[in-house]
Amino acid sequence: MTTRSALGLQTQAANVREAEARERRTVLVPGMRIALLVLANVIGLLAFVWPFLVPSIARRVAENHQGDGPWIVAALGAILLALLFLELGRGGLGPKTVALLGVLGAAMVALRLPGFVAGFSALFIVVLVAGNSLGPGFGFLLGCIGMFASGIFVGGLGPWLPFEMVAVGWVGAGAGLLPHGGSWRTRIAWLAAFGFASGYLYGLVMELWFWPFLTDGSALAWNPGGGAWMNVRHYLAFYVVDGLTWDTFRAVGNVVLVIAIGRPVLAALDRAARRMQLRVG
Amino acid sequence: MSDVLRFDAVTYVYPEGARPAIEDVDLAIAEGSFALAVGPTGSGKSTLLRASNGLVPQFTGGTFTGRVSVDGRDTLAHAPRRLADVVAFVPQDPGASFVLDRVEDELAYGMENLGVDPVHMRRRVEETLDLLDLPGLRDRSVRTLSGGERQRVAIAAALAAGPRILVLDEPTSQLDPQGAEDVMAALQRLVHDHGMTVLLAEHRLERVAGWVDVAIGFDHGRVRSGTPADVIGHLGSGPPVTRLGQMLGWDPLPLTVRAARAAAAGGPRPALPPRDPARNGHRHGVVAEVRGLRASYAETTVLRGLDLDVHEGEVLAVMGRNGAGKSTLLRVLAGIHEPSAGQVQILGAKPRPGVDVGLCPQEADELLFSDSVEHEVRATLVARGEAGGAGPWLAALGIAGLAARHPRDLSAGQRLLVATAAVAATDAPLLALDEPTRGLDPASKERLIGFVRAHALGGRAAVVATHDVELAAAVATRVVILAGGEVIADGDPGAVLGDSRVFAPQMTRVFGPGWLTPDQVVEALT
Amino acid sequence: MDRRPVHPMAWIVWATSAGFVAFVTTDPVYLLLLWAVSWFVYAGHRVDAEHARSFRLFLTGAMVAVALRTALVFFGTVSAANTTFSFLEGLRLGTILVIFGTFNAVTDPFGLVRMAPRHFHEPALAAALALSIAPRTVAGVGRVRDAQRMRGIRIHGARALPALAVPVLERGMEEAHTLAESMDARGHGAGRRSRYRPQPWTGAAILIAVPAIAAAATFLAASVGGWAVLHPQTSPIVWPEADPLLLAGIGLLAVPGVVGRPER
Repeated sequence: MTTRSALGLQTQAANVREAEARERRTVLVPGMRIALLVLANVIGLLAFVWPFLVPSIARRVAENHQGDGPWIVAALGAILLALLFLELGRGGLGPKTVALLGVLGAAMVALRLPGFVAGFSALFIVVLVAGNSLGPGFGFLLGCIGMFASGIFVGGLGPWLPFEMVAVGWVGAGAGLLPHGGSWRTRIAWLAAFGFASGYLYGLVMELWFWPFLTDGSALAWNPGGGAWMNVRHYLAFYVVDGLTWDTFRAVGNVVLVIAIGRPVLAALDRAARRMQLRVG
Repeated sequence: MSDVLRFDAVTYVYPEGARPAIEDVDLAIAEGSFALAVGPTGSGKSTLLRASNGLVPQFTGGTFTGRVSVDGRDTLAHAPRRLADVVAFVPQDPGASFVLDRVEDELAYGMENLGVDPVHMRRRVEETLDLLDLPGLRDRSVRTLSGGERQRVAIAAALAAGPRILVLDEPTSQLDPQGAEDVMAALQRLVHDHGMTVLLAEHRLERVAGWVDVAIGFDHGRVRSGTPADVIGHLGSGPPVTRLGQMLGWDPLPLTVRAARAAAAGGPRPALPPRDPARNGHRHGVVAEVRGLRASYAETTVLRGLDLDVHEGEVLAVMGRNGAGKSTLLRVLAGIHEPSAGQVQILGAKPRPGVDVGLCPQEADELLFSDSVEHEVRATLVARGEAGGAGPWLAALGIAGLAARHPRDLSAGQRLLVATAAVAATDAPLLALDEPTRGLDPASKERLIGFVRAHALGGRAAVVATHDVELAAAVATRVVILAGGEVIADGDPGAVLGDSRVFAPQMTRVFGPGWLTPDQVVEALT
Repeated sequence: MDRRPVHPMAWIVWATSAGFVAFVTTDPVYLLLLWAVSWFVYAGHRVDAEHARSFRLFLTGAMVAVALRTALVFFGTVSAANTTFSFLEGLRLGTILVIFGTFNAVTDPFGLVRMAPRHFHEPALAAALALSIAPRTVAGVGRVRDAQRMRGIRIHGARALPALAVPVLERGMEEAHTLAESMDARGHGAGRRSRYRPQPWTGAAILIAVPAIAAAATFLAASVGGWAVLHPQTSPIVWPEADPLLLAGIGLLAVPGVVGRPER
């Protein structure tokens, strides 16, 4: 076996030139790209809340494709997700980020089944702490990748998957935007509060994807002719009946976990990020 | 021959470091050398290795002065990934460094990154499989491989890109003797038959000292290179034959058993060793009793009808190949693992984990969760309702000075001592240690040996599962060898180890059965 | 028999075609037949216990989805018609899940990662890593729990959770560090990548993909041309139809069950 790799060197030279133009080793998210990300996320948000905003179009859609609706919206969600990923990953995430996403994603996969009581799932704590320690960009990526991988693992796939991914991604990103305050108490308090709120917000948002397709004229159902405000009231009523108790488990579970293990786990993540010289963003 | 790796006045400080990890290093490694980096933990070996491919400083940050050039390329001017075709780095834990699933794909990964075209990749993969004796494993999932196989696959994966120099960080620390042999033999072939340059860091010098042709000694960040005998001799922590040579003033210092036999041939032979009263077979009270034990692990029957007693004051070394059942036996003794048949009793009753037996696992890190060493030991005390402080336990292991440090900041050896202290704090009558010498530096090893012997003397007992022959020779009062799920040898260390080809310590191989440690030999000769 | 693995794209074509067929119809005859076909294909290609477990999970998930979707009828007026409608919608969803379960069981996630378009390579790799590291994480939790027991700490309730969570996480962080070093040292991100052994399209792969496309085409024709009933009436409820041509189409989707099977 030759130890000199002439052919390797040739391809190397070409790659060096090309890739040096896009050097990226961390998950740094500079200003301009944040704007693009925000835009993509807003569009994603619209994919969730369109029933409140464009009722007339939606009614026609619902009447003709009552069963297909969820799939169409899911396809939209998937496209948006793809765009978001393309954007976030554009400069190259780098080995440190990919390795951390893999390891923390594995934790989410491992936690998806067992820690599951009503709406509570232990995997939320992973995105909460990872986002809080490693930044909103990382938190978002981890949420998406973790839900995707754990969905494959657990058979929980369906038209809701893009929404799940984005919603959990938002939880991770939100955790990354929380203030750290001056002390551990403040930091944990913020995280616990956010964990509580996100338990409900997640459910609120996820129920939304199929709710419009339950058109049956009741006071809990979507009414295309009713205007935005009326639909919001209908939806909240529906949510109280359908999701509130479920999500309370999640909200409370998140708080309990944050308080129980938040501090040592965050400390460990912070240290690991420091040791790996990962610039967080 | 040209120099393939050069260090010029290199000094490096880690981002959070107070002192330089390596200081003013000038080093030139000629092409085709087989070089060994030796020195106490924390003396800079790992840092130097990582500086060879640019991981230091490009991956680690920090302050770097001087110049490192690999095959003429400056590591500051090229990112590690741009040096992948000249220098390959194999980290210590190969299992954690795999990216893909199949062996063949793992080998190709590096080349894919470099954009090598498929035809050449195919050829390279085939060649590398042959080079490291792996062709039968190409379709296997890396998760199903043994330790030695994994290490060779990691080496192969690093080599496939065709580098000129191979850098390895403690390649044999996680391996049993057979696995270590395979890896060293493979490296030897690479150097002697294929002109590869190899640089490795290693603690277990008895394995590698005889193979290498240049050694680099580390002391607090400063290096000194020279012949192995020269450098290792100066370190004071070489293999037993070298330590013996130092104590007896032999020159040149032997690094291998063969060299030691030659050196000893001319001198006086020590008389038969007196029976060490602590090591004699005199039985005191029984602490642990095992009768007809059958146990399985992962669907295979590992222990078949085992009988064993452990007495007060004994340090029992349980030896055997990887997979012989040593860990399973310890876990059954600790009360963690349910036997499928047979009886296990600690002081006459079924063992309660953490109360009757304290077991320190193979991976000491599985225990550590506190933010200071002291808190870690106190956690054990608090769990059993004990109000006392951690002080005595830390002192017993010689780590009182580390009380305020964060366990994760310590070296692997120090972490093991902390874990052992945490387990000892259970104050259980039987202390069990599972493979304690993995990645252990000599100083920590000494402390551990001292502690275990003192612990047993206090009327308790200790069981140590290990395949480190020198550890068994130094610490055991009785040795048991497991094979095929049964005990095939049981008795006094001098007899059992002396009788075995595989498990004979270096002193036995030089002077005959009954000789276990250099200190014994020196004492007998003077 | 050709031992080379089937090109992942063939499976993607199969799964997409089968998924499309499930998407355009709510006829329970076709849908249930698809369940059987999916199981048949899975049985022919499963390789190890882990795939078997994962398929079972998908199957369970599918049945749960059917049940839940049917139960959704309680949010409106409950009638035989509405219930049937809900059930058929659920059945459709469940069918897609089962198809995906088969796809998941017969493909190798890393094979898919290598096929991912360049910009998705890293997220796809991260997902594949998450799947492959997960068993180690689970095993690690067990080992840490045992280790803590052996020094007297029982993990009971929230108080003792740090003793479980921190070592597992720290171990994961160290492995991530080692992995990242290894990836960096082996050239990750160094530029345009090539593909080792671009998978050849074997005969088996073609025999899997082409009939699947044909099946999808049949159903597309039926959907557009309207010559078969794809959505049975629910008010009033009528017995579902089973057009022989469409049945044959579904039969085509069963071809992978006998073709390109891995040697055991």
